[in-house]
Amino acid sequence: MSNTAATLYNPSNLPSNDNINDYSYCVDVRGQMFVRNGKMIAYYGQLRFEALGSVGLAGLINRAFNSASYVSDFIVINGQGKLIVGDNGNNIASYNLENGNLTVKADNLLAFEDTLRCQESVVEGYLTIIGSGLFLASSCGPVMFAVPPICVDEQALLGWADTPCPSYRYDYSYVQSTLSHIGAMVGIGASGEEKQLEFKKIGNDDMVLIQSSESNLRGRDMLEKILAMLPGLDHDDAQAVYSNLYNRIHGQQ
Amino acid sequence: MPTFSLKNDRLLEVTLMNEKVSALAGAMVAYEGQMKFEKLVLGGEGLFGALRRAVSNEGMPLMSTSGSGKVYFAHDAQTISILPLQNEKLFIESRNLLAFDQTLRTSTAFQGLRGGSGSGFFTTTVEGNGNVAVFSDGNLIRLEVSPQWGPLFVDPDAFIAYKGNIQQEFHFDVNWRTMIGQTSGESYQLKFTGNGVVFIQPSELKS
Amino acid sequence: MPQYELVNSKLLKIVLRSEEVYAQKGSMIAYTGQVNFARSYLTGGGIQNIAMRAVTNEGWQMMTAQGSGEVFYAQSGQMVTIVPLKGETMYVESDSVLAFDRRLQTGTMFLGSQGGIRGLVQGAATGQGLFTTTFTGNGELVILSDGPTIALDVNPNNPVFVDPQAYIGHRGNLQPNLHTDVSWKSFLGQTSGESFQLKFTGQGVVYIQASER
Repeated sequence: MSNTAATLYNPSNLPSNDNINDYSYCVDVRGQMFVRNGKMIAYYGQLRFEALGSVGLAGLINRAFNSASYVSDFIVINGQGKLIVGDNGNNIASYNLENGNLTVKADNLLAFEDTLRCQESVVEGYLTIIGSGLFLASSCGPVMFAVPPICVDEQALLGWADTPCPSYRYDYSYVQSTLSHIGAMVGIGASGEEKQLEFKKIGNDDMVLIQSSESNLRGRDMLEKILAMLPGLDHDDAQAVYSNLYNRIHGQQ
Repeated sequence: MPTFSLKNDRLLEVTLMNEKVSALAGAMVAYEGQMKFEKLVLGGEGLFGALRRAVSNEGMPLMSTSGSGKVYFAHDAQTISILPLQNEKLFIESRNLLAFDQTLRTSTAFQGLRGGSGSGFFTTTVEGNGNVAVFSDGNLIRLEVSPQWGPLFVDPDAFIAYKGNIQQEFHFDVNWRTMIGQTSGESYQLKFTGNGVVFIQPSELKS
Repeated sequence: MPQYELVNSKLLKIVLRSEEVYAQKGSMIAYTGQVNFARSYLTGGGIQNIAMRAVTNEGWQMMTAQGSGEVFYAQSGQMVTIVPLKGETMYVESDSVLAFDRRLQTGTMFLGSQGGIRGLVQGAATGQGLFTTTFTGNGELVILSDGPTIALDVNPNNPVFVDPQAYIGHRGNLQPNLHTDVSWKSFLGQTSGESFQLKFTGQGVVYIQASER
């Protein structure tokens, strides 16, 4: 798996539903699956790409992708072939669910088979995947699997299985310092780690997924999104953005 | 001939014995021995080459390193691969070129018109006997192109290089063109047919 | 003593048994057990150090983790390397330090006479900042790099030249000096790269990263 540059791949020796390396994954497409828009990097075979707005997909979406907020981030791939996905050099891991459920950060969900059902978690920004089938998630750095009880930084949390919803836990000294006026004013005690998500242990299969970084996935940052949208602005809009930024940088309200 | 080896997957080590290597300007991270660095422009093929570079924007800042010793090259902690050429021609995105043997010949090739805008699409070619080092966002993947496998489709941003007797075309998926209001991803793909090897990176970020 | 372990190339685990570690602020990503976190500055102290911090901007914020349990650290997807120090001094840029504990004494080193590192290069251009951070003692120092940390051996017959942006730190009996390649000078004003290099002579190890950012 390490020296992929030495292996010459073709459809007969590409991995079958497995990683090619830490950053890419080969899916055997036989039928339909959901893939995050723009994450196909290469394929062999007869594959069709359909936007979720296309006619004829309403039934599929109703059955498998019950999320108004995230559905437009995905496309449906149809047909037979070897599909290679990559995500900006982020690590990719696959998960096989058998009649199970796993909640994963919505931004990190990369692909899932249409046998699974995907719906929004009560924790904002997360999707819960239910049923049986394969799904892929990307992460900034390799994924660490941890058993509760554990406290996790919100940015580093990738997801969780079976364990009940996490709750916020504040560092005691931080709570104390915000109770005192002076402490609150000068921000004493702020270690940068005063607020975490706490997972309690309930069952034996409880599992928390943590990525090896507290930063966002590469390529999903606000700045990159904004820069990507800039070419679509006409001259007047670009001027408005420019003067807004100019005022902001030079401190005029 | 300069020896190319990988100190690790993100650091290239080139051993020179009174020899020359071309590399991306600014990519030297360390060296031992006696080395000299000079500015260089990709091509070295006279006025016509310079003209093509001006048109194609493939003019990349290169430096020539000469001397005896070891020189280390890296770029933004990207993964590095060494591609040995044996009387072959490599078509490569110049943005991914890290270093190459100075005995190799470089040029610019016109690859056709891109998309509806009709802007030209150029790649750099490196030809001859010697080593080329490329960097990629994640490990480089080699894919075989052969009539028995049917065409290979590649996202343009994941594409790095190809070699062999390959035809490259732009492929527009009809379904993609009808998608209105979508922040497209693969609005077009590169389609490869023939016999040869295509090199891609597991990322669609332009480096 | 705290136990240092790599979970993977980007993730550090430290096991504490009623102990304390210092780590870069904001780098804790998870913990188990009873651990308290508080803000701290580079310790090691003394008035000289405080004055130096004020001058050098090397008083970068750390946090302490104290208690019993496992604490996990990672920083911006950078790679993590554990460097065990055996009574020697390691010079390192403070933003490349992930974690250490009180077995190591920290200090701020004026490198004007010795030749500073990134600060020296900056200093050559702007006239400021000829300081770096030092760690001395017996214990683990955990450092960060873009891509794996690469250790380059230096001996009297074999000086090494390093791009300042790729430099992380060094240890041993080494003299760093600014080196300006004449042919590079002609690059100035161009989109060059290596207008300055750091030359290390003596006996020791130089740590670099595979990135020139």
